[in-house]
Amino acid sequence: MNVHEYQAKKVLAQYGIAIPRGGIAYTPSEAKRVAQKLSSRGPWMLKAQIQAGARATGHFIDHDAGGKGGIRQVTQISNIPYEASQMLNNRLVTEQTDNKGRLVTKVYVETCEDAKHLFYAGMVIDSSIPSIALLISDNTDKNIVQLAQQHKEKILRLDLQYNSGISDEQIYQILDFLSLDKTYLRSFHDFFGKLLFTFINLDAQMIEINPVGIMPEKKLIALDAKINFDDNALFRHPDIVLMHEDFEEETRHRKAKRCGFQYHEFSGNIGCIVNGGGLALEAMDIIKSKGFETACSLNVKGGVDKDKIAAGIKIIMTNPRIEGIVINIIGGFLRCNLIADGILEAYQDVGLIVPLVVRFEGTNKDEAKSILEHSGLQVMFAENIEQAIEKLLAKMEVNN
Amino acid sequence: MSILADKNSRVLIQGITGTQASFHVKRSLETGTNVVAGTSPNHGGEEHLGIPVFDNVYEATRKFSFDTSVLFVPAMSVKNAVREAVEAEIKLIISIAAGVPVHDMLEIRNILKGSKTLMIGPNTPGVITPQEARLGIFPDNIHQKGCIGIISRSSTLTYEAVLQTNAAGLGQSTVIGLGDDLIIGTDFRELIRRFMEDDETKAVVLVGKADNSYEQQAAEYYASLPHKKPVIAFIAGEALPFGHTMGYAADIITRGRITVSDKKKIMRNAGIYVADQMTDVSKILSELNL
Repeated sequence: MNVHEYQAKKVLAQYGIAIPRGGIAYTPSEAKRVAQKLSSRGPWMLKAQIQAGARATGHFIDHDAGGKGGIRQVTQISNIPYEASQMLNNRLVTEQTDNKGRLVTKVYVETCEDAKHLFYAGMVIDSSIPSIALLISDNTDKNIVQLAQQHKEKILRLDLQYNSGISDEQIYQILDFLSLDKTYLRSFHDFFGKLLFTFINLDAQMIEINPVGIMPEKKLIALDAKINFDDNALFRHPDIVLMHEDFEEETRHRKAKRCGFQYHEFSGNIGCIVNGGGLALEAMDIIKSKGFETACSLNVKGGVDKDKIAAGIKIIMTNPRIEGIVINIIGGFLRCNLIADGILEAYQDVGLIVPLVVRFEGTNKDEAKSILEHSGLQVMFAENIEQAIEKLLAKMEVNN
Repeated sequence: MSILADKNSRVLIQGITGTQASFHVKRSLETGTNVVAGTSPNHGGEEHLGIPVFDNVYEATRKFSFDTSVLFVPAMSVKNAVREAVEAEIKLIISIAAGVPVHDMLEIRNILKGSKTLMIGPNTPGVITPQEARLGIFPDNIHQKGCIGIISRSSTLTYEAVLQTNAAGLGQSTVIGLGDDLIIGTDFRELIRRFMEDDETKAVVLVGKADNSYEQQAAEYYASLPHKKPVIAFIAGEALPFGHTMGYAADIITRGRITVSDKKKIMRNAGIYVADQMTDVSKILSELNL
């Protein structure tokens, strides 16, 4: 689960990490009031709140925003309402969003801090070791994923052990890397100690602070913040769950999540319904090897009733991009006949105008096949996923 | 011999009274798996599916000894269940539930370090030695006793790999789902080692995925072995858009980008047969004339 910048900063502040003073505003006039309350004179930072990075270099698409991005420094208090109105109720597209962008419903107003040195700090779980990896870079302009691929040498990587914290040696390594002298030891130790404590205590999967600012008195301050929490650990953090805003997610994803399923969208025109992440990957690979692309894939699981299965299948059937559907189920705990019942229920509710190929294997596969065969639904069967996709593509070609 | 599990395995089921556990333990008993006892808090002293139930692992070990424990406990209880089984020095833990918190797995790996316990999973269909021991949630009627070892990082693709070995007429010695999660108890290497020493196993099928570096580790390990049996690998996820999942992004940030084709190349260089499609696995197996 992701949260907004202002929420992430509030969390960091609770753990003793310094952040600029700020407040949230939903209207242009509220933005002005917040700014006045923060400081009698500018400049202020005005920041569009969406859960995606690269806001500063993004652009708005719904109404005119003066050709500027989602992060602005404003010097005159009288300009705050105008600048805020350009962002609010406008969709912001950045290199980390799709081309529809994200709707800005609130802006964060902050004091403008006079940091003399900026750097990137990230904490992420490296699952292979496993460890918590701390990443530091002098480059604050580039997305870290791009930087890792193009200029690996510009990232310092340190492994932190789960129960032993961060050592002075590691702090010295960071200072060396950033060309800072030893007088920064205490403030860096304090900052990264708190960051690691936050990371562990809140079951974070990733925390990124880009940038961290070094203030004149050597104190570190988080000028931006991004936290991703482990969904599987949210049961331990009811206060974090309250921060969740599900309109940030697309409706189909939300519907699938409510059924307990995973749903992903891609750029193609074939819909996949499978029971397992590996099966989803396999189907995508085969579709691609035949020169096509997957539109969306739904990963269903056992232990749910027929209605949830039907609701899940409807998500795929009603996706307007879909020109064909392939279903690949290897039944275990999830019985194939439950899927067959779900397909029928979904079909009765929303109809089906595109070709459908089904492959059943495992628990109750014959029963499942017979349910569909006797239903009158136009459905083709296959012995394996490759055959299923070949049949589907052949049928799609005939239809076109 | 098979690896990890056979008809003599003395099996404990942690969380035996749950719906999923009941459904699957019943099937395991029908196929002859030696389930000795189960645990479930506040059910101590009862019988479930004809199996004695204890409140916890400690109580169960006072009466019986076990070499294997299958965890059907919910994801949020896995950490404590592992701790109990490790304290009881049970040699093999198989953890079924999906959704174990990542930080719990970091702690679990610390608990396992220096212990006598091997953990398979979490988020795995389990371990099966056909006709001897069914430890997990495998589908019915697809397994055939035979000579191919299977180690898979994807639950459902495990079943596909099983069907491939059947198609080649070879069957399975032991099938292991490593678990679909990013952090797992045991990676490919330890199991490759055991299969290489197992008389019943003539070749091994590996199923890998795009994220993480478990496949590279397996390839390096295999290349370093003085005596080896053939290994056939299938890796899913070539079409997955770049940086699609949090785990994948973390991999790239921490190690740079390794694509599925890079992984395949590393495996081929290590002497592993790589199947581009799952259906090629049976073809390669047949051509090996095992």
